[in-house]
Amino acid sequence: MKRTSLLVKPLIALAIISFAFSCSSSFLEVPLQGGITTSNDPALAQKLVTGVYSSLLQGDSWGNGDVHGFAFLSVTNIISDDADKGSTPSDQAVPVGDIDNFTLTSTNKFCETLWSGHFFSIGMANQALAQLSIATIDTTLRSQLIGEVRFIRGYLYFNMVRMFGGVPLVLRVPKDATDANTDYFIVRATASDVYAAIGQDLQYATNHLPLKSKSAVGHATKGAAQTLLAKVNMYQGKWDQVLALTNEVIASGQYQLVPDYSTIWRQAGDNSKESIFEIEMGSFNNDNLDIDNYTVCQGVRVGGKGGWDDLGWGFNNPTTDLANVYEIGDLRKNSTIIFIDNSGAHKGTMLWDGFRIPSSDSVQNLRYNYKAYTSRTKEQFANIGDKNRPKNIHILRYADVLLMNAEAALHLGGDVATPLNSVRQRAGLLPKANPTQDDIWQERRVELAMEHDRFWDLVRQGRAAQVMIASGKINFVAGKHELLPVPNSQILLSGNKITQNPNY
Amino acid sequence: MLNIISANDYLVNSLKIRLLMRKQLLLIFLFVLGVGIAGAMAQEKIITGRVTSREDGKSVAGANIVVQGTTRGTTTDVDGNFKFAVDAADASLVISFIGYKTQTIAIGAQTYFDIALESEASQLQEVVVVGYGVQKKSDITGATANIKGEELLKQPVLTATQAIQGKVAGVQIISSGQPGTTPQIRVRGVGTAFSGTNTLYVVDGVLTDDISNINTADITDINILKDASAAAIYGSRGANGVVIITTRRGSSGKLKISYNNNIGFRQAANLVRMANTAEYSNYVQDATGNPPNVPGITGNTNWYKTILRNALEQSHNISISGGGDKTTYLFNIGYLDDQGIVIDNEFKRFTIRLNNDYQITDYLKLGFQSSYSNSSNQNGFGNIDIDTYGNIGSVYNDTYRAAPVIPSIVDGKYGNTSSFQNVGNPLLDIKDNSVKVLESRLQEYSYLEVKPKEWIKLKSGFGVDWRNSLNRAYYYQFSNDNNTFVTAGGNQYNLRSNLGVKNAQSYHWVWDNTATITKKIGKNDFTFLAGMTAEKFSLTWFSASRKDIAADPNLWYIGVGDANSSQNDGGGDRWTRNSYLARLNYSYDGKYLLTASIRADGSSRLPVQNRWQNYPSVGLAWILSNEGFMDNQRIFDFLKLRVSYGKVGNDQIPTNAYSVNVTPNTAYAFNGSASPATNGSQIRVVVDPNITWETTTEKDAAVEFNALNSKLSGEINYYDKTVGNLLANIPVYATTPDIDHLIIRNIGSVQNKGIELSLNWKNKINDQLSYTVGGNVTFNKNKVVALNGGQAIPGGGIGAAQGFTTLTDNGQAIGSFHVLKVLGVFNSDADAAAYKDVSGTMIQPTAHEGDFKYFDANGDGKIDDNDRVFAGSYQPVAYYGGNVSFNYATEKKGSWDFSLSIYGNAGNKVYNGKKGVRISGTDNVERDLVYSRWTHANNTQSQPAANVGNLPGSTYFVEPGSFIRINNVTVGYTFPSVKMKLRVYITSQNLFTYKKYSGFTAELPGDPLNSGIELSSYPTTRTVALGVNVSF
Repeated sequence: MKRTSLLVKPLIALAIISFAFSCSSSFLEVPLQGGITTSNDPALAQKLVTGVYSSLLQGDSWGNGDVHGFAFLSVTNIISDDADKGSTPSDQAVPVGDIDNFTLTSTNKFCETLWSGHFFSIGMANQALAQLSIATIDTTLRSQLIGEVRFIRGYLYFNMVRMFGGVPLVLRVPKDATDANTDYFIVRATASDVYAAIGQDLQYATNHLPLKSKSAVGHATKGAAQTLLAKVNMYQGKWDQVLALTNEVIASGQYQLVPDYSTIWRQAGDNSKESIFEIEMGSFNNDNLDIDNYTVCQGVRVGGKGGWDDLGWGFNNPTTDLANVYEIGDLRKNSTIIFIDNSGAHKGTMLWDGFRIPSSDSVQNLRYNYKAYTSRTKEQFANIGDKNRPKNIHILRYADVLLMNAEAALHLGGDVATPLNSVRQRAGLLPKANPTQDDIWQERRVELAMEHDRFWDLVRQGRAAQVMIASGKINFVAGKHELLPVPNSQILLSGNKITQNPNY
Repeated sequence: MLNIISANDYLVNSLKIRLLMRKQLLLIFLFVLGVGIAGAMAQEKIITGRVTSREDGKSVAGANIVVQGTTRGTTTDVDGNFKFAVDAADASLVISFIGYKTQTIAIGAQTYFDIALESEASQLQEVVVVGYGVQKKSDITGATANIKGEELLKQPVLTATQAIQGKVAGVQIISSGQPGTTPQIRVRGVGTAFSGTNTLYVVDGVLTDDISNINTADITDINILKDASAAAIYGSRGANGVVIITTRRGSSGKLKISYNNNIGFRQAANLVRMANTAEYSNYVQDATGNPPNVPGITGNTNWYKTILRNALEQSHNISISGGGDKTTYLFNIGYLDDQGIVIDNEFKRFTIRLNNDYQITDYLKLGFQSSYSNSSNQNGFGNIDIDTYGNIGSVYNDTYRAAPVIPSIVDGKYGNTSSFQNVGNPLLDIKDNSVKVLESRLQEYSYLEVKPKEWIKLKSGFGVDWRNSLNRAYYYQFSNDNNTFVTAGGNQYNLRSNLGVKNAQSYHWVWDNTATITKKIGKNDFTFLAGMTAEKFSLTWFSASRKDIAADPNLWYIGVGDANSSQNDGGGDRWTRNSYLARLNYSYDGKYLLTASIRADGSSRLPVQNRWQNYPSVGLAWILSNEGFMDNQRIFDFLKLRVSYGKVGNDQIPTNAYSVNVTPNTAYAFNGSASPATNGSQIRVVVDPNITWETTTEKDAAVEFNALNSKLSGEINYYDKTVGNLLANIPVYATTPDIDHLIIRNIGSVQNKGIELSLNWKNKINDQLSYTVGGNVTFNKNKVVALNGGQAIPGGGIGAAQGFTTLTDNGQAIGSFHVLKVLGVFNSDADAAAYKDVSGTMIQPTAHEGDFKYFDANGDGKIDDNDRVFAGSYQPVAYYGGNVSFNYATEKKGSWDFSLSIYGNAGNKVYNGKKGVRISGTDNVERDLVYSRWTHANNTQSQPAANVGNLPGSTYFVEPGSFIRINNVTVGYTFPSVKMKLRVYITSQNLFTYKKYSGFTAELPGDPLNSGIELSSYPTTRTVALGVNVSF
């Protein structure tokens, strides 16, 4: 008997244990640790909208994605006749030198990260829209938040269509990995379809966003949506729309030019009366919240004899071509370009905050972008030890509205001089009585120099090849280089379902 | 023996001293341990002796010596020696050991016994651990391999895994040689496409994937379950093979003390010779038309000499073991100090082990095996989260690329490589930070065994693995000015010092409950096992950092830093598994064997609809040598045929692989710098909610034999294993809102087919001299057989102009290199211009003389990624090992032992990634390239002309990876003594490698899609060490 119980007891125990485990399927039901889900954060939809804005700060140009980083800088400024690659000749010869010289191929890393960065942001917008549609929030707030997100999505697609032409038009979130492999997410839409979608997004935003004075700082506004929509229409040659929208922005009374052009790119000039939409940077979590490398890559670089702690890597140098295009007395010239002292007098260059840049024998290049300079002494940063510091990017400002208004008026027969001359006046220049198209284009170039506009503007004006070749970029091929190559990695992944742009 | 003593006064004295020391030690340990072994001191007459194998003269460890008709006795130590007290009345000794015929010897007046045991039927009678039980080796129907602890101890290596290299067919060990790392194991080819390639280690019942805490000296036995039928009992854990490690136990009898050490030095085994200043200048002049424009002082730096050193390596182990009738114990202390060959790198480890067993009653037994380890890794590379701070991860790559014209350091100021448009100064990369990882780990397994009847055993075992790691990374403040550098400038600086700490604690428990029934009915032998297991893993970590802490290490605490720079983070992980298992072993008349097992596995890592999976196996074997018709042949002593089939799985994917989660703290500063940012969130993953187990199905057939009086033994194995539902991180379109554009999915299947051969010969030339010769070779062919949707997976991205370098596609080995094909070098610009396609388009319009001519694979008249071709794989066609050993033993003059082992790979390719990422014209080049480069005078077609780098990925960078290496050479001498054993030896690990590859090493661990790429790998090391083994 005793022996039997010895055997039976452990067996029963074993059976009970096994039973306990098998019955409690909950043993295998382990919630993800630290995992926020759509169900355990009630404020998720609003937070996702902030997340969409946050995605505009992508600057992982050599990695996962770029929206406003070094890659963006390369395909807007360096690619144009306004700026050279800069730094030393071999530094970033691939991929930036290839963009500057139009020797780029479909494996150019920056083109790839611009494609993936923009689509990631578009994806974040689609995620936010999906959650907003089901969130339990006030309907006015809902449509305003949707308006903000659709403004950003429209802006992103506008960049995409200008960079790549027609792209896959992705306006929803894939259900799962299988859905993400369907044609909807792969095949390129036509450029006109993309433009139509941009128009719809911006129209919604125009209808549902409040005016700037009724809106929190930094958020997309009705004025921003109208301005961007005007610009989108300008790229499509719909001048009546451009005129109507810019007139409305002007009439709204929300905006005016700031008196001193040079302050626009300082912290003091952030979100000024002239500002319509900016990419905002500041601080978070006791650190700078900025775009990777955006300012450091444009910073003044030590060279020659060295001997000083420099400001950055020295890319994106304004060209002599740009320096020479300013009229005499144009105040904008010295607000746009840091000229390095090459006189032999060794005086150096004194900047607005009192910082002196040494003369050319200790500096790598002769000109740098003043609009990317941050001041260690006169501006506030969470982490001043980092050479890459926050600097708002001015995507849309009132001067652009005035110049668009002037160009539309020129096409449709209206008052061209008034809007144009208000821009010239601030720059310290005499008014033009009968401005021509060339006058407006010249004004656009110097007013918006180094502001990511020039190259696309030339393509819009239909004279990219002519201007590029004239400026010495002899590799430019008309009918090819107006657009960037679609990343080869994406084409390979699709088994050639994604088509390449012409002649690449 | 008395003669020896009287003949040599010196020996007498030294023996006396040793005896004295031994007694003191003994008393001390008695006190410390509180282990009662009173019987050992009460003695009537002490007898000593040594048990050897008649066959080869080798000592037999663990043999039982019992006084006939009593339970009094002892077992032999590792060297076959024994010593214990007998009563005057005791008549004879019975000496027994598994695999040998039992002997009985009269005691009489004799005090020393030299006993040679007759082999019964060789090592096949040996019992090995097979998972939740033991089995006689001859009865196993699956593919397994066994290595003894003493084999491992010979080699001055950190982990036991490394010592297995080349010893076992079908098991490829890829070791980087870096201190503090665990080598990678591939059992029978690459069996997954995901990074979850970790082999399962079962250390005394504790399941783990990292054994860097285990002191090699603690291991008595390693058994590797190679095929799916053997590993199926571990179900979903078995896909990458199972390595069962058994640590030593005490044995009843006298207290035994042993001390083992080795002290040696390591150095870089193969260095790539880089150009010196003259050679470099010549090359740069040719490439750019200008000599290098060096700011400040021109140096002539050998950067490898700057950062490498001859490093000291030492390990010490003290072991005390013994036991009485009812208890056994083993206590072991180990210390290991492994300086890296890179300056400032050092790994230290202290281990303690206590293994005790208690026979409470005749039916109740319990015990535990516990080990504690404490390690410190200073400036280790590849340590978790180190690259977040400092530049240590880039040191190797920087060293390869650093220009020789820049001095390393002059009067305490660093040469400014980065202001020369070159990489950061590698020496400063090391010196500008201090990274230390401390880890404590407690691993423990305790069990309770009840044997209510002779035929049934119930066992419940509980294993825990407790890990606590603390990382501390300090990053010094320095600027690119004249205080730090010879000349100011460049982008190597850190304007604010930074201290980062991270603490991680994990707790993992495994609970096994099994019942084993053993019955013999006539000629039928049954063993039936049934049981359940449950396991749970939890991890918590947090990290913090602050800036502006002074360089004094006494200040390196978070509280000292600027609170306005505080950052912190934290997280956790948790998963569970639950399994039920059963196994039947049946044998009929010792001739016909059947093993069948099944395991049902549930895992929390998989979605609920795919949570449970069954893993069955069956194996059959026929021992022909036990058949009557084999009696008349004299060739085979043992002959076995076996076939098996089994299934194993893999769930090594992150716990969040199938659920969508929100990423918090994606903030935006709506008001610019005027006010702090607003917190936001992103949903930035897309998942496959239906992922399921990766399942490996394997067929195996083998012949095992012992022949010619057991002088020759061998095994031939064929296997065919298919991994289905392959889990991989596959790339998705950039249009997918996923941050890294990679999604874990089941993507297809991959096949490994192969043959393993192993042969061993052992013989003795005369009474003194015996020898063994052995070798093994494995041929493996890996092939992707079905990718769902046919979407090939690019991998091996190494940046620069190279892009991805591997492609995993149908019909090819996993991770095959996929690059442009170099046809030759253009001898003139005219040559380049004449390279046209059929329509007359210039294929390489921008090419000049001295540039590579690439193959236009798709014939579209241009060279781009679509012209890539497959160029081989990192997976060897064959890998092999061999060993030779001699033993010369004399009674009076001691004995000599010699062993040599080799290891090699054949048919694999290496991608010379470090050469490929020469992204700047200022980067250094290999010396060989300076002389062999294309010029008008030297227009061979193998090297391009001098260039500024940025070459696309091509076959130029794919090099043969075959190598053969003398893995280990050891010569040892054992002093002639019976009171104690004293052996001294000299050993060398990785003495010499013959390889075709031009880089450091062709042995490159990595995950399946990205292996075999040498980018910034730790130089392989050669070790020469002296060691002592003492036991008494």
